[in-house]
Amino acid sequence: MSSERSWDPRLIIARRELTSLSREKTIVLAILIQLFVAAFSSFLVVGLTSLYDPSSIDSGGIEIGVTGDAQQDLFEAVAETDGVQPISFESVSATQRAFDQGRIDAYLTGSFVEPPDSQGQVIQVTATAPDSSIRTTLVVVQLRKVLKTLERQERLDRADSLDQVPLPLPEQIDASPYFSFTYTVLIPLLLFLPPFISGSVAVDTVTEEIERGTLELLRVAPVSLVDIVDGKSLAMIALAPVQGALWLLLLSLNGITVANPLAILVLVGATAAIVVVFGVVLGLHLGRRRPAQLLYSVLTLVVFGAAILLPEHPSTTAAKLAVDSPTLVTYGHVVGYVLLAVVLFALTRRYVDRVQPESL
Amino acid sequence: MNPRKLLRIAKWEVTKNAGGVDKRTVAIMAVSVVAMLLVAGLAASGGATGLDSGLYRVGVDESSPYYAPASEDPAFIVRDPSAEAVERGDQELYFDGTTLRNRLGSQKEKAALSEFRSSVDGYNSEQMREDDNATAAFPVSVTLVYLEQDGVTETVATGGNADGSSGNGGTDGSSGAGGTDGSSGDGGTDGSSGDAGTSDGSTGSGTGSSSDGDSGSLAGLGAGLTGGSTSGTPADIQPPFPFESLVLAFLFIVPMNFVIQAYGSTMLSERLNRRGELLLVSPVSRFDIVAGKTLPYFLGAMGVITAITLGLRFSGLTAGGGPIAILAVLPLALLFLAATFCGAMFARSFKELTFVTVTVTVSLTTYAFVPAIFTDVNPIALISPLTIVVRDLQAQAVTTGDFAFATIPATLSALVLFTLGSGLYREEDMFTQRAIPLKLLDSLSTQIRSKWSALKLPVMLLPAVVVAELAGIALLFALPVEISIPLILVVVVLVEEVAKSLHVYAGFSSGRFDGSLRTTLVVGALSGTGFFLAEKLILVFQVLNPGLSEIPTSQAGLVGSLVPEGVPLALAAVVLLLLPLALHTVTATVSALGARRGRRTYLVALVAAMAIHFAYNFTVVSTVVQ
Repeated sequence: MSSERSWDPRLIIARRELTSLSREKTIVLAILIQLFVAAFSSFLVVGLTSLYDPSSIDSGGIEIGVTGDAQQDLFEAVAETDGVQPISFESVSATQRAFDQGRIDAYLTGSFVEPPDSQGQVIQVTATAPDSSIRTTLVVVQLRKVLKTLERQERLDRADSLDQVPLPLPEQIDASPYFSFTYTVLIPLLLFLPPFISGSVAVDTVTEEIERGTLELLRVAPVSLVDIVDGKSLAMIALAPVQGALWLLLLSLNGITVANPLAILVLVGATAAIVVVFGVVLGLHLGRRRPAQLLYSVLTLVVFGAAILLPEHPSTTAAKLAVDSPTLVTYGHVVGYVLLAVVLFALTRRYVDRVQPESL
Repeated sequence: MNPRKLLRIAKWEVTKNAGGVDKRTVAIMAVSVVAMLLVAGLAASGGATGLDSGLYRVGVDESSPYYAPASEDPAFIVRDPSAEAVERGDQELYFDGTTLRNRLGSQKEKAALSEFRSSVDGYNSEQMREDDNATAAFPVSVTLVYLEQDGVTETVATGGNADGSSGNGGTDGSSGAGGTDGSSGDGGTDGSSGDAGTSDGSTGSGTGSSSDGDSGSLAGLGAGLTGGSTSGTPADIQPPFPFESLVLAFLFIVPMNFVIQAYGSTMLSERLNRRGELLLVSPVSRFDIVAGKTLPYFLGAMGVITAITLGLRFSGLTAGGGPIAILAVLPLALLFLAATFCGAMFARSFKELTFVTVTVTVSLTTYAFVPAIFTDVNPIALISPLTIVVRDLQAQAVTTGDFAFATIPATLSALVLFTLGSGLYREEDMFTQRAIPLKLLDSLSTQIRSKWSALKLPVMLLPAVVVAELAGIALLFALPVEISIPLILVVVVLVEEVAKSLHVYAGFSSGRFDGSLRTTLVVGALSGTGFFLAEKLILVFQVLNPGLSEIPTSQAGLVGSLVPEGVPLALAAVVLLLLPLALHTVTATVSALGARRGRRTYLVALVAAMAIHFAYNFTVVSTVVQ
């Protein structure tokens, strides 16, 4: 105890706050949640990406039957698309038989028709995909590609009748379809989860002291209410960037590189400070967990949603930092959050200073 | 149960509870909800930028034809093309005219090009739409038909002609219900089931949905939810990846979160300063108390869900949505409340409760959401009740079997959790700081009356076991079979052995079972038999959802209850009845023998039992699942 005496009382309170979390093994639960979400995310990113890739199919791609008057055009379109092989059939019934027997995965029947309201011909295609099979999605994705190729080809053939020739597409390459998802949804989600939990815990720690009546015991100690609140808030604010850092580490172990880690952690810390201060004020003001938590969760959600009115939503800021496309606006937002956090923290201290502890 | 007392407690909960929600809070909540709707509306109306805005930098000159598509897509920031910027990593793409000048190295550059490709594609479609020569602009018209591969025509789905589409919006009701006739689901189709696990679809158009300009907005969502687009160009083909189900999941699950926040608080605050003691000493049973205190929150949750469903329906966002959707969310609401109740009984402080609440939300959201991703892959999707909701909202038909399969395990699990939690709703556990493992044992041992309870408890725990195993299957089935089958076996063994032995250990440690060898053997055998009997109930699920047995991962997960095909009847009887019975009895007895002595020996014996079980399952699976 004697060593503690020389410490700032606020740090002692902060430390006790954290040790109580680890003693209750709550922190184990928190880490478990993180690991769970991390495992889940790698399931999403790695698992689904490999599934999406048609080349991962052992049987060497999807076989598509083509038939009908427009057979030739369809055949060429299929042949031009990666991962699918065309098979020509003489008649529709032969195609259907092959489909039933599972020799082909899908088939296209094409015919030329003249629409009643305009001149010229269109190719009318009936695409048949297997119903409620595990391969359905993959097959439909491929069919879409094939038909888009056909459409492009037909447009170019009829370019004379068009006001504007369609632009050539950049080449097709193998890119993870979940790249953008990872950076715009996953990483912001993982980064903003810890601050919001910290804020919620800040509500708990304040209301619990009030509801249990233990705040009085703390007040007997030679610390002011401001010290108590400072200590509790600091502990919760500090927790969020630590968790955020853990995330970045886990992500990099998963093969997802995150740029600008320092700026991201500053962003996480500032967000944590803002929500924790908000939670503390709500807790002190309402004094009961149920209304305080309810308002905390609803209001933070609304404010976080309303942040879309900013030039850059916080999650976009996090995404741009993580993917290494930050602009001045991005950094401006980070600085803005830090300033806001500092101002709110100072205002809260003044508010707490004026709260009568006896009234709690 | 006494309905009158129950209702009175429910009324108190709403009106007189200490720390209740006062009018001011309600008013702020109401304002917040309105604000939330406004924000959502604003975001949807396109007043805000997308999530991926400014993610990639593309260097393209104003004279290039690619300038227009790049500047119209918010995902791209247009820069002056410069090789140095590419070198520095400040530009992902560098176009000279329409030729890409830089070599693509990083993932980001590749993703940028892929995204840009779909951007240009979307831009082309946009341009074509303005062209007055419709046949040249859209020279291909597509109708997409889904057909069962064994010849059973199911019916039409998306697409259709520009004119005839109004008719088939109605007819696609029964598509997707293919699981009903699945008894014939074998033969040629699953000849390839060996690689089915690795090759399944489930992905979709990726996240680069910017190809059609309006996706992401509410209008696009509506078109997607109703399951049919009017025009039939190739760009309109939507792979059956219900991205909307993600949105729906959050729409239904977010309110649940608020309800359990409040519910957890009120349950835990009963335990602070012995507040709940007054009710406990009053002449009502603890079930009345628990049910009475839960009822308002349950009704609240259902009220919100009903409002959301009706709101979706009448605002025209979804084609359907009615009693079926609401009833299908009911088990989820119950499960959320039950898990929170248990959490509030176990938690020692508000802080801990917050973490418990988050855990409940995360795990139940996963349970509800992951299978629902595969809404069009029948057997897996039906593990989650949310799938039923999605289908009902899409105005698809839901069969009774599907409904039962999706909702029964969740409902029963919720009841089990409530029962276990109620076991802790007593003075010794509520007002003391007992360690969590001890409380867990308490909750089980209060259910033990005699040796026969060892038979009863595994039966009681089975719904939770089924839910855990099904959730495991849903999580793992997308992985390659070589990985997913051993993993699911581990999950199954862990879950089942714990479910078979934990109550036995609880019985011994609380002294409800005496520690004699005879009792141990009897209890072990009874527990194994009980689990065996209950496990046979899983057969019911096979009947409800025949498709499940076609997927190797779930075949492995539910091994022992699934009938392998082509096995002679006598052998089938052995495989189905005698062997599993022997297995469960032996493993349960092994762990009971360990449980008799204390915690350490219990853990050792449990691991031994798991090893036996794993060896058995692995042998069976490697012979059955080829």
